[in-house]
Amino acid sequence: MKRLIFIISLLIAVYLNAKSQDSSTVATKDEVAEVKGAVDGINETVLEMKSTLDALKKIKISGYIQAQYQVAESASVGSYAGGNFPQNVKSRFQVRRGRFKINYDNDLTQYVLQLDVTQSGVGIKDAYASIKEPWYRAASLTAGVFDRPFGFEISYSSSSREAPERSRLFQTLFPGERELGAKIELAPENGPLSYFNLKAGVFNGVLNNSNENDRHKDFIGRAGFQLPFDEEGLAIDGGFSVYTGAVTANSKKIYEIDNSSSIKRYKVDSTSTNLGNGFDRNYYGFDLQLYYDVPVIGGATLRGEYLWGKQPGTDKSSSFYNPDAAGTTDTKSLIDGKKVTDVYMRNFNGWYINFIQNIGLKNQFIAKYDVYTPNKDVTASDIGAAGSNLNAGDIKYSTLGLGWIYHWDSNVKFVLYYDWVKNEKINSLATGTLASFKNDLKDNVLTLRMQYKF
Amino acid sequence: MTLTPVPSPDSGEGDSSGVGERVQNKQKGKNKMKKIILTLITAIAAFGFSQKGETITVKGSDTIVILAQRWAELYMSKHPDVTVQVTGGGSGVGISALINGTTDICNASRPMKKSEKEKLKARFNTLGVEIKAAKDGLAIYVRENNPVSELSIAQLKDIYTGKTTNWKQVGGPDTKIIVYGRENSSGTYVYFKDNVLDGEDFAPSVQTLPGTAAVVNAVSKDKNGIGYGGAAYAKGIKLLKVKKDANSTAYEPTEENVKSGNYPISRYLYMYTRSRPTGAMKEYIDWILSKEGQEIVTKVGYFPVR
Repeated sequence: MKRLIFIISLLIAVYLNAKSQDSSTVATKDEVAEVKGAVDGINETVLEMKSTLDALKKIKISGYIQAQYQVAESASVGSYAGGNFPQNVKSRFQVRRGRFKINYDNDLTQYVLQLDVTQSGVGIKDAYASIKEPWYRAASLTAGVFDRPFGFEISYSSSSREAPERSRLFQTLFPGERELGAKIELAPENGPLSYFNLKAGVFNGVLNNSNENDRHKDFIGRAGFQLPFDEEGLAIDGGFSVYTGAVTANSKKIYEIDNSSSIKRYKVDSTSTNLGNGFDRNYYGFDLQLYYDVPVIGGATLRGEYLWGKQPGTDKSSSFYNPDAAGTTDTKSLIDGKKVTDVYMRNFNGWYINFIQNIGLKNQFIAKYDVYTPNKDVTASDIGAAGSNLNAGDIKYSTLGLGWIYHWDSNVKFVLYYDWVKNEKINSLATGTLASFKNDLKDNVLTLRMQYKF
Repeated sequence: MTLTPVPSPDSGEGDSSGVGERVQNKQKGKNKMKKIILTLITAIAAFGFSQKGETITVKGSDTIVILAQRWAELYMSKHPDVTVQVTGGGSGVGISALINGTTDICNASRPMKKSEKEKLKARFNTLGVEIKAAKDGLAIYVRENNPVSELSIAQLKDIYTGKTTNWKQVGGPDTKIIVYGRENSSGTYVYFKDNVLDGEDFAPSVQTLPGTAAVVNAVSKDKNGIGYGGAAYAKGIKLLKVKKDANSTAYEPTEENVKSGNYPISRYLYMYTRSRPTGAMKEYIDWILSKEGQEIVTKVGYFPVR
């Protein structure tokens, strides 16, 4: 009997255990289904997040701030090392550049907007759209506001450039570097043609932030080459550039150097049809960059550019003739009650040479020499001579710059740079505003800069 | 090192002395100065030349990271005075680090782009030095029981651009293809896009994973999965044969086929330095290219360049 009770009890226990296991299996299955559902849910969320993330990845934000302290040799000097020093100011703090760039990069198409935020306000530096052809990915079309495709220094970013500022030559001929227009660019990535590139475009020919003020469009182009000699640790890059355009005179008076005169002076052409006519603005230039990997010390580069051409300017300035630009005050006379600015045509040339030596990972030594001759048809002694009507816009300048860069980390660098600026000493008979150029102006500038780039 | 203060010649200490004593004092001062300068030079020289524990940082391609770690481990065991730190992150990340100056060597499973070389030139005025360290057949992974055994480049392109979505379309079962790939910072991603997709975009349905090991892991668990990556990672999965076009012979990514060029998607694995390597870095790279270093390439599953 006991045995029977024991067997029945055992069977009941086994049954209950099996039932409990069944319910446990069901519960486990439910849990697995629940976890699977949760994982599927997470997968869906991840996929959604991925598509959002992929879209966000196309937005690239970058920028840099250049904060600097400068000391000039004397107060109130005119300067190309970051702008003129105001009245009675000999030293200053500045945010020289405060760039913020948004680039939506959709592989074959791009949107770029770059702002410059400084103590002077907010300005637009770049605003352009760009498309690349999908077949060879070698040709692209860009339209908007962007760097003029001329030479090397214009398109070399201010955040990468070793000397704090571009040469006087470029600041005069291409103020603001950018321009409104459209360009095509050919730059094959692979094959024998990858050693060559071409950029060419048509532009308003005014300034990056100004409306077109005449019927002329200017052509700017550069044909370049890049020759790497990997075994030798050497690269030779270079190019030839052309700018051909015109400005429209709002005056009938056009001044040109009279080479037949015994005293070098401007002669004036006052033909009434000059008013509203176009006058040539033509530049040509060569640029060359040599890169060499100096064993143990680090990479070195030697860059140079030579430019020449014809520049329509005003009497006091060899910047290009732009009667609508703010600050043009060379108003000589009135036509129909409107102020006019006379055109001064000058044949110019200029060049610079720049040497940079990397020393290890952190340091760079810089030496730069640039020369700008705004009027190559006259000499220093012609300016200010008796009977001459030459003026400040005809004076030649040279600048020697020496500096040191210390890269604190991949974002921050410090720059110490000194500009020795020399103007040619003009005729000792010079009077009036020209008199100060009888000697070298005290306009050297020391720059201490800190840059943060991301 | 103790520095003895040198009395200034202009100090009042010698005021009560005679001229001879002052000359003697000056002479002593000069001698002391010489000693100090000599001591300093010796100390600097000793510091400079006794610097042991050279560290080489290596960053970049996830495809190469296993190989780079093996190289580093063996090299450090034989050169205890050198530390080689290896990290992955992808070829793009490695190249950025090289340009930013935060790594000595960059590993990349694709060549540096022209735009990247321009950045290096702008910052360091060098072109970068390219070293072909190994060769790899870019393998196509499927799960071991997947009945498909070969694909053409065109079929792969259609799968990865989303035109082919079912295994049945390429000779397999009637099930959806689950496509795995890499992130766009990966050199393998770029190589695959350029050489298999002809530059076209990956389909949005491609599931991107952070490394080749993750791709292998995903494919090994997914009977409908397909992925791509370095041949060395192919453990527990099946490698498909690949053919150039529908009429060509399909080949496996073996050493013979990769070296002969028969396997259509093979590539070099690169190392880049900013400048021509010198010192410990040069010795390390020379060793990688030596017979011993190249033997490790084979052991890991890639193919030697020498």
